[in-house]
Amino acid sequence: MEQPALYLVKVGEILLKLGNRRDFENRLKTDIRKRLSGMPHQVEYQPGRFFVQVAADRAGEAEEILSRTPGINGWARALRTEKTFVEIERAALAIAGAANVGATTFKVESRRSDKSFPLGSYELSKELGHSILEANPGLRVDLHEPGFTINVEIRDRAFIYGNPTRGVRGLPVGTQGRGLLLLSGGIDSPVAGYMMAKRGLDLEAMYFHAWPYTSKEAHDKVKDLARVLSGYTGGITLWTVPFTDIQMALKKGAREDLTTLMMRAAMMEIAHAFAARRRDTCIVTGESLGQVASQTAQNLRFTQFPTDLPVFRPLIGMDKEETIAIARAIGSFDISVRPFEDCCVIFSPKHPLLKADLERERASYEALGLGRLIEEAMAGIEKFEVPFSERIPSGR
Amino acid sequence: MRVSLRLGPERHRKVRSLLLRPLSFQRIRGERPRALWHPRRTILILISQEPATIYLDWASTTPPDRDALIEATEIAVAFPGNPSSPHAPGLQAKEKLEEARQGVRRRLCPVGSGNRLVFTGSGSEADAIPLLALVRKASKDGTRPHILVTAIEHAAIHEQLPVLKRLGIEATLVKPGADGRVDPAAFEAALRPETEAVFAMAVNNETGAVQPVAEIAKAVADRAARIGKRRPRVHVDAVQALGKLPFAPAALGIDSAAFSGHKFRGPHGVGALWLGRDIEPLVLGGGQEGGVRPGTESLQAVWAFRICLDRALDRFEVRLAAARSLERRLVEGLLDMGAMPLPLGRGPDDPRYSPYIISAAFPGLSGEVFVRALSAGCREAPEGVAVSTGSACSHNSRDKGRRVLEAMGLDKGLAFSSIRISTGDLTTAGDIETFLAAARAMHRALRA
Repeated sequence: MEQPALYLVKVGEILLKLGNRRDFENRLKTDIRKRLSGMPHQVEYQPGRFFVQVAADRAGEAEEILSRTPGINGWARALRTEKTFVEIERAALAIAGAANVGATTFKVESRRSDKSFPLGSYELSKELGHSILEANPGLRVDLHEPGFTINVEIRDRAFIYGNPTRGVRGLPVGTQGRGLLLLSGGIDSPVAGYMMAKRGLDLEAMYFHAWPYTSKEAHDKVKDLARVLSGYTGGITLWTVPFTDIQMALKKGAREDLTTLMMRAAMMEIAHAFAARRRDTCIVTGESLGQVASQTAQNLRFTQFPTDLPVFRPLIGMDKEETIAIARAIGSFDISVRPFEDCCVIFSPKHPLLKADLERERASYEALGLGRLIEEAMAGIEKFEVPFSERIPSGR
Repeated sequence: MRVSLRLGPERHRKVRSLLLRPLSFQRIRGERPRALWHPRRTILILISQEPATIYLDWASTTPPDRDALIEATEIAVAFPGNPSSPHAPGLQAKEKLEEARQGVRRRLCPVGSGNRLVFTGSGSEADAIPLLALVRKASKDGTRPHILVTAIEHAAIHEQLPVLKRLGIEATLVKPGADGRVDPAAFEAALRPETEAVFAMAVNNETGAVQPVAEIAKAVADRAARIGKRRPRVHVDAVQALGKLPFAPAALGIDSAAFSGHKFRGPHGVGALWLGRDIEPLVLGGGQEGGVRPGTESLQAVWAFRICLDRALDRFEVRLAAARSLERRLVEGLLDMGAMPLPLGRGPDDPRYSPYIISAAFPGLSGEVFVRALSAGCREAPEGVAVSTGSACSHNSRDKGRRVLEAMGLDKGLAFSSIRISTGDLTTAGDIETFLAAARAMHRALRA
C-alpha cells in the first residue's frame, strides 16, 4: 500500500497577532478541514504549523487546495520514516532528487526533539549531506544561501521535506468578517476579490445583469469567475441583480454625460442595502484610480455617496499590468477576456463627466426618483451558490 | 393517469425513444401518444414537441432536405468504392460520381461546353482555390500580381487578403455605392497593367444587393484589351445566387464561380467550383477533381448537392414568386414600424436586390441585443424568431456585417442597429407576420 501523502503546512502572518493567534489557527484548521472534506484526511496541529495527511492518489488535489487557502504561507510534501539512518537517507535522497531540478546548491538542516537518536543534529546533517553529494555530483553545499534545503525532523518518527511551495499567505478567510464584492466580467473585480480574500475577508459577490443588453454568455462568464474565487474563499454566493429597467430609466432620464456615474451610484445604493441586510461589513470593488472616466477621485466620491460602509478598492494604486499578472496567476484572466460585454455600449456616454460635483450630482441622482425601480431590482435578486467543490482550479 | 409533456427537440427525441408501445389507434393533436407501462398501472404520456423557433436566417444556412440527404446516403452506401480505384467498385463509384457532376453541369452550362465543375468541401473552399492559385502563379512567374476585389466580399475572400499581401499579392478594394452595388466603371478605373484577377460576388450576403458581374467582366475585358494586356480572370462568389436568382455562369463572361450546398437545403460540407478556364491550384494531392481539388470524393456529398440543386431549380419560378411576395410584405411591415430597410431607399420588388435577403436598421437598438431578444421570444412570438446581425457589440469579434454596411457609406449608428432577415422555401406568410409583430413590440420595449 502506498504511503499516504504528508504535508508540512506553514502558517505565517497570523503568528504576528499573538493575542488572536489561537483563534486564527483554529479557524485556519477548520477551513483546511472543510476544504479537504471531499477526501479522507487528517490535520495535526503544532505551534505555528500543521501536518496534513491525505491518500497518495489525492495528493494533486490536496496540493491545489493548500496552495489556495489564505493563511497558509507555504507547504512542503514530507516523507515520514522510521528513525533509522538508512531510511532517513533514502528519503533525503528522494527529496533531493526531486528538488534538484535547476538548483546547484543545497544544505541539510536537522532538528531532533528525540534526544535518544544516536546522531546529533549536526552530525546527521553532515552524513546526509555526504550521501546527497555522492548521489548528485553536480551539487555543492552552501550553508548561507542554498538553492534548496533538506529539512529533517526527528520526533516520534523522522520527517524529511524540501523547500516549501509558496502559498497564498495572508489571513484565514472569515477572520475579518464578510464583504460584498461587486463582481463584473472584467479583469479587475475578480482580482480585487482575491486580494481581499487573502486578507481574511469572506466574500459574497453581486453582479448587475441587464438582459437582453447583456447576454447569457456574459452572465455565465461571471459565474465562472465566481467559481475561480470560490477556490480561494472556500465557497462563494453570487447574487444577480436584474438591472435592465434601471439602466433604461437612466438612459432616458439622466444627462448623457452622467449616465455611467448615475449607474454606479444606483449599483452602490443596491449594494449598500443588500450588504446591510446581509450584515456584510464592507463593499469591495475593482476600481483603480484614473483607469476609466468614472474612476477619478471626484467621481469615486460621488459614486460611493449612497453607502457609508467602507469601500475597499485594493487595486486603487495598481497599474493594469500588475493586475493582469495577478489575474493570470489566479486563473481569472482567460475567463475575463472572453468577448462578452457586461454593459452594452448603448449606455456609455461619448463624453463622460470627469469631475462630478458631489452636491449637484447628488441632487441630480435624487431627482431621477429611482426608488421604486431599485426596490423592484432588489426583489428580483437571484442566488447562485458556488460551493467549494465546484471551484475552477487555477491554471498555475 | 394522464400526463402531458411539452418538450424541446433534444429531450423530445430522447424521451420518445425511451417510451414503448405507440398506441396505433389514436392520434391526439396529430401526434401519436405513447404509453409507458408501469407494473401497477398504465400511465398515458402524451408528448409533443415544442414549436421550433421561427427561422429567418436562411442566408446563413438552410434546413436540410431530409429525403434528399437520405437518398444521397443510400447512393453512397450502394457505391462504396473509391472513385480513383481501377477495380470494379472503384469504377462504378467513379461513374456514379460523374453522373452527379453531369447533372449539376447541365443546370449551369449549355450542353457540350468545355466548362468544368469541381466539387469542393464548401463555398469557402471554392473561393479559396482561385485565390491561392494566384500564389502559385506568382511564385512561378516571379511577378507581383495585383487583384481587384470588392470591399463587400464574404470573409472567405476578404480575410485571405492580408495573407496574400504578405506574399506579394496586392489587392485594391472597390467600394460599392450607397445602393450596395459596385460600379463596373470603378473596376475599369482601378485596373492596372499588372492586374491578374478580379473577385466580385454575385449577391451580397448581408444586403442582398445583386452585383453587375457580367458588366464588370465586360468592363475589365474591354479595358485590358485597350491597354494591350491580357484579360484578367474574373471569379464570382455565387453562393447566395445559385438556386435563388437566375445564374448561368457561362453566359456572364466570367472564369470561375463558387457555390455552397447548404444554401439550398443541401448538407454542410459540400460546395462546387465552376471553371470556365483552367486553373493551377496551390493545394495538390491525389489528383482528384481534375487535380483542382485533392481529396477522395464523397458520393454522399455530391449527390446531395445535385439532388437539392435539382429540386431548387425545378421549382425556381414558383419559389422566386413566393420569395418576392414575402419580401413585399416584409418591407411594408418594416417601414410601417419605423424600421429602415437597407440600403436606404430599398423598396419592394427592386430588381437590384435579392428578395431572399434584407437588412434593416432599427434605430435606438443594437443589432446584437435585438437578435438576442427576438431569439428568446416574447408574447407575440413565444417560440422565438431567429434572425442575424453582423454587428456584434463586442470589440473582439469581427464585425463582418458592419464592414459591408459601412463600406456602402452607411451611417455607423444605423449599421450598429441593423439585423438581417432572410427567407427560404419553408418560410410562410405567417412567419413574416409573427416576426413583424414581435419586432414591433420588442423595438418599442427596448429602444433606448
